[in-house]
Amino acid sequence: MAFPLPRGIVASEIAFLAEMETVTVVPRQRLEGLELLGGPIEPLVPPRRASLPLWLALLLKRQRRANIIPPSWLHPESLSLILEVESQHQDYKNAFSPPPPLPGQPSVRDQGLEPTARPQYTLDGNRYYAAPPFLPQNTAQTTVSSGEPPALPFHWIEVGNMLLDSASDDLMDPGQIRRLLKDLREVRMAKMRSGVDVLDDAAMGGGGVALTGVGAMELGDERGFLSGVVDGLRKIGASKEQARREQLAEQRANGGYNGTQDEEEDYMEF
Amino acid sequence: MDIDDILASVDRGPGASPESAALDHQQLTRFWIAERAVSEVLPWPAPLMERMMDRVRLQIETIEDLAASSVDTNPSHNSTSHNPNLNLRLSILQTDLARTQYIIRSLLRARLAKLTKHSMHYLVQLASRNKNPLSSASQSQSQSQTQSSASTANVSPEDSVPDISALTDTTPLSGPETSFVHAHQTLLAGHYGASFLGAFPRQLRRLDDNAGGTSMVQGPELKEVVFVRCLAAQVNCLMEGEGDGVDGEDGLGDEIGVTMRMGDVWVVRWDGVRKAWERGKWNCCNV
Amino acid sequence: MSYYDIDSILTDAQKLPCTFELEVPGLGILEGNPGDDIKAGTRIDLPLWLGEMLSIGARLGTSRLVTLDMPDALAERVMNALKADPRTVDLRALAPHFYTLSERILEIFEEEEMVDVLINTFKKRAAEISDHAHNPRGAVGDGVDFLRGLDETERQLFRAAHDRAKQVRIWAGEAKKK
Repeated sequence: MAFPLPRGIVASEIAFLAEMETVTVVPRQRLEGLELLGGPIEPLVPPRRASLPLWLALLLKRQRRANIIPPSWLHPESLSLILEVESQHQDYKNAFSPPPPLPGQPSVRDQGLEPTARPQYTLDGNRYYAAPPFLPQNTAQTTVSSGEPPALPFHWIEVGNMLLDSASDDLMDPGQIRRLLKDLREVRMAKMRSGVDVLDDAAMGGGGVALTGVGAMELGDERGFLSGVVDGLRKIGASKEQARREQLAEQRANGGYNGTQDEEEDYMEF
Repeated sequence: MDIDDILASVDRGPGASPESAALDHQQLTRFWIAERAVSEVLPWPAPLMERMMDRVRLQIETIEDLAASSVDTNPSHNSTSHNPNLNLRLSILQTDLARTQYIIRSLLRARLAKLTKHSMHYLVQLASRNKNPLSSASQSQSQSQTQSSASTANVSPEDSVPDISALTDTTPLSGPETSFVHAHQTLLAGHYGASFLGAFPRQLRRLDDNAGGTSMVQGPELKEVVFVRCLAAQVNCLMEGEGDGVDGEDGLGDEIGVTMRMGDVWVVRWDGVRKAWERGKWNCCNV
Repeated sequence: MSYYDIDSILTDAQKLPCTFELEVPGLGILEGNPGDDIKAGTRIDLPLWLGEMLSIGARLGTSRLVTLDMPDALAERVMNALKADPRTVDLRALAPHFYTLSERILEIFEEEEMVDVLINTFKKRAAEISDHAHNPRGAVGDGVDFLRGLDETERQLFRAAHDRAKQVRIWAGEAKKK
């Protein structure tokens, strides 16, 4: 039984996932609430705003049954700001601009605060922490109070592209948005490429390389390459890893292991 | 109200509420992404999948009823004027159903692909947990096959398929997957035997040999990298060991590697975060 | 080594120089003289799997049949060339399975410096591979020569990177599905 896709979700699957993001719409007609497998849909009553999964919002938009209120980041001003951080800011020369914080995670401005993860509980009694596409990262914020800097959500390329394709008349200056998205993509792609040099950190057992702030489609683009490089490096360096393991085992046998290996330095981003 | 009905409604309890439908759907989606991302078959989430399949069945009934009601309406009336949103509702419900079915189908196919690729590995793994004294005897017999095979008559490739008939715990597979992989390997062994292995000397007909230091039973590569997002306050990446790495709860004998903090996305080896994923279940999310 | 992996099997078939330490009766067939004996001191290129098997005595410290040498593909001058500029070396000409061969050799010989040289080589060339894989016009100019010189591991990397990039372009409507 052949399964045609490689390991790790591919572009079409990532786009499918992005369609589960929640967006804000202004319905142009009434529709009673629906119980979907993906969760309940609130009744649509014009002109009251409603939150819908992107796939449904696009379905209604194409039939002229609703307008989509774009997320605040998908705006020329926000995108220009992010592009500036991404290309000018010293702190992000080799890293992606910070993503929107998860629930319970302190924002970029409150770096000192400890994160407190807020779990939900599943029917099986397990802790469950929501993550994109199931966080409101693409809804229109009614409260602009926070003054939170704009940030690119995980599915920025997909949501941006889909709204440009199907709801450009709902966007502010779609031509400019298109250009900015393209510029952002290029700046960030260059960062991803320059990161090949630190990839050996992910090849060793217990190691890793941070890609925080990366977008889903950007990962989709580079996944095959990055895994290929790390796997290649792991195999070439296998004898080195073996030697290191033996050394650690020896240290432990001598009781000399102090728990602070040089691993701390591996906390680098690209 | 009958007491049974009350009990039944309590039993259905949260599982029947729309919010829990959303939560289950999110879990299914996350599990699908994880299954697509890692090289091994992940533990089958039986309760979640049972609830999902029940909902899918109910939803199909709902859609059928709704579609039937549009046909049932008096032909002299225009059915759309009867309920102007009926077609829209139907198309939304059908799209939602098709999307969910896509995930389930892709999930099952991804698992079957891994099972067929490493069928012997999973069968041997299952058989090694087999507690039945009778079959464990037959297993030790098969392990000493290198000495005995020459004397045993009619060694066929099927003989190397482990016996898992008495198995009670099929983790990480579901029951049907266990039957599938056993039937698959038996057919494959029979086919090899009929097409070429039958013509080989007896001692060369096995499919689980490890002569020459190379085992014929190949498992998935657990050192391959995955892309994860840290959802707990922090998760440690382990070099190897017993702890789960979540929030610093490491067991003895672990070699702690890098520490991921909440919201971080990392490229790490699967063997480094596997325990965190398994024990903390959804703390560490594949992206 | 993986039982069903064709690349692994082909890697084991690559040859490396072996020197016989003892006279072996009847093994002349390896030199193309069936029936003859093989003299001590004879140097023949043998497939990795055979050479490794015959050299096992050497590693156990008992009397050994053959000693193994570095294959030409991993000779000192190759390492020097890779240190100078990894991108200009035609790895495929050296060995079609250059990296998998290196991995096997590094299991047999302890060569710490070689590991570092190879890791650096792989990273430098990988960056170049990524650039070509993301170029929708395909390989042009110098790129053609570079891509021809990729070993099997690198070719697979190129394919993986190229396929993913193409899937993204197809999704974005920038490329057509074939």
